[in-house]
Amino acid sequence: MKIYINGTGIAGGFGCGSNVLLNRLHTGVACEPSSQDGYYPAFHADISSLYDFVPKKSLRRIDHFSQLALTGAYLTFNEAGQDSFDKMATGLVLCSGYGSAKTTFSFLDSIIDSGDICASPTLFSNSVHNAAAGHISMMLGIEGPCLTVSQFEISVYSGLLSAIQWLREERVGQVLFGAVDEYFDVLGYCYQRRYGRNSNISMSPLAPGIQSAVPGEGAAFFLLSRDKATNCYGAITSVNTGSVKDFDDILPEESFYILNADGHIESDKNYSKIIPEGSLVSCYTPYYGSIPTGPAFDMAIAALSLREGRIFPVPVNVIRPDNYRIPVQESTLNQGNISCVKAGVKGEFSIITLSHPG
Amino acid sequence: MNRGAPVAITGTGCLSASGESLMQNMKTVFSGKRAPGKPGAFSSSHPVIYPVFEIKYPIPHINDQHKKYLSRTAQLALAAAAEAIMDAGLDTEAMNGLRVGVCMGTTVGSTMNDEKFYRDFKNRLEPDMSAISRYLNSNPSSVISKEYSLKGPCQTIVNACSSGTDAIGIGASWIRSGICDIVIAGGADELSRISYNGFISLMITDSDPCRPFDKNRKGLNLGEGAGLVVLESEYSLKRRNKRAKAFVIGYGSASDGYHLTAPHPEGRGLKRAIADAFIESGKKASDIGFINAHGTATPENDLAEARVLREIFSGIPFLSTKGYTGHTLGAAGAIEAVYTVASLEAGQIPVSAGFSEIDPYAAISPVTENTGISLKTALSESLAFGGQNAVLILTTEGI
Repeated sequence: MKIYINGTGIAGGFGCGSNVLLNRLHTGVACEPSSQDGYYPAFHADISSLYDFVPKKSLRRIDHFSQLALTGAYLTFNEAGQDSFDKMATGLVLCSGYGSAKTTFSFLDSIIDSGDICASPTLFSNSVHNAAAGHISMMLGIEGPCLTVSQFEISVYSGLLSAIQWLREERVGQVLFGAVDEYFDVLGYCYQRRYGRNSNISMSPLAPGIQSAVPGEGAAFFLLSRDKATNCYGAITSVNTGSVKDFDDILPEESFYILNADGHIESDKNYSKIIPEGSLVSCYTPYYGSIPTGPAFDMAIAALSLREGRIFPVPVNVIRPDNYRIPVQESTLNQGNISCVKAGVKGEFSIITLSHPG
Repeated sequence: MNRGAPVAITGTGCLSASGESLMQNMKTVFSGKRAPGKPGAFSSSHPVIYPVFEIKYPIPHINDQHKKYLSRTAQLALAAAAEAIMDAGLDTEAMNGLRVGVCMGTTVGSTMNDEKFYRDFKNRLEPDMSAISRYLNSNPSSVISKEYSLKGPCQTIVNACSSGTDAIGIGASWIRSGICDIVIAGGADELSRISYNGFISLMITDSDPCRPFDKNRKGLNLGEGAGLVVLESEYSLKRRNKRAKAFVIGYGSASDGYHLTAPHPEGRGLKRAIADAFIESGKKASDIGFINAHGTATPENDLAEARVLREIFSGIPFLSTKGYTGHTLGAAGAIEAVYTVASLEAGQIPVSAGFSEIDPYAAISPVTENTGISLKTALSESLAFGGQNAVLILTTEGI
């Protein structure tokens, strides 16, 4: 059974909305990270579009993580043209690598700075992993099943597995599927501690032996359905996971591969163990950064490629390995499939394949 | 896909403040004993002590490497997994070559909140990365998968207090759809100073032992533990010539879309989750022998839940087991599902601890003594932060 992508909503270091991302993809120019906390440069997300849908004052008790998620959710329903929908027949699956970590640490601040008795109930309730899903459910009126998944770098695969299951079981008619991760200062500290202080870094994924990961944040959402809408982007045809060391050839024929190589030496080296030499391969992480839920951003790019019938050029600073064909200029998409491939730092992988809706 | 096909449970495992195995847990709950106390693993500057249900025995099946590199939640998950896998008659070798997935619920177990690390970070003491490494090594599903060299999907569900129920429901769907031959599913959570302070800040904790559904209930007591089941396909059962001990026949899930921390007063989402589980199982209220309620003992939860129990399950015995375990958050739904299976096997349910006086607003009473049950099907339900509701229907019919 094909699962159709009938809408997307995306926000990240490149800006907000699929058209903004599309413009960036045409240019091939990577985004510039910035340092806001002095620890490490990062790609910070633009969520200004959220205020087109929700009055700012109604968001005052909602944290940044949930606001990222709400941005993705509102953009998706808006793009899908669904001003109203069957609340009970709509499910919600949210995935995140680290959850609302910034708020978790803010809650700790309230205890450390003022004592246990001053622990903040607002921060505590926003720090719970499924708070973002709760906010979406309340504000958009989704009353179907609701799931939040946290599986680090395989979170997108894992969440998508359940979204697809719900549709195949006919538990729901459509699923709002979203991936969210945020930048937080402890993450910046961890990067600095592990990779050294670096205030002027640019991502060079796939460069052998060069650690160039820059943390990012953002939200990538999709409206998934068994039924194809007129403005459908494409279809999800398979999702797979496994261990790189036990990799068995499960790659689709005639595929264009989008690698989520994000400048981490430990994981970037694993892509050559999965993707055959000579394959047509690209990598777009310099537009949004290193994010545990990065494969969802690649899914959004794959969806745009399918809709536009184009292969977008690799950003200029991505190293072009000799063993792959790399699109240096924009071209026509001739492949039937686009596979979004993630190799994690612990040797795990996920492959999510999209195709033309047919 | 046959959404309602029964999925076999061939193994169960559980540890909580009530015991280090499922058998010990059931012995404790049928004796009616419970022992909440002052937190021992951490201190608090709150002027009032809020009791917790803490595991005070060494966690079984855990070696020095586990202790050094894994969170307490991951250790609890491994201990319950070891019991469930052994109960199913499985081991690493027997699972080799099969598609074995792991689906686990948790809350604390997926949160980066090491207080010592963060205090040092705040004070610019440049803490080392061991706390971060432990967090990254301790995803409950991945830990179990790695321990047994499994090759199926991993999913850690963080749906707050319904996580364990959702994990078993989703694990069952992986079996039905043919994604897996075996799924190890359940939930695990440790007591944490962070969540202790958080729940006190919400003013939903009781300074006395909790009293689910009682007129004078004031709130929950936190607990810790893990509950796991081994779910198995027909193919795997036949291959091993193994019989099921129970079946998952229904799972329903729905959102209130109402409030972040309070249930819908009429149990809107819970009713729909129950209806969905009935559709999946082909059962109706009169087929249900008892209900293992969420029963946190918070005023709002128990009132909303009582309303639904009254409307849908009038006259059917129900209980809350949180009076024995405390609220174990992401583990709660799984521990309660495992208790439900054990109660079905025993043909009786334990007294609902902490209840003594009927709440005129709830107008419903849980069982006040150990109670025999004649039907072989039961329902276990969970309500969660974020307005999430999840329900499992379990049966020993056909065993």
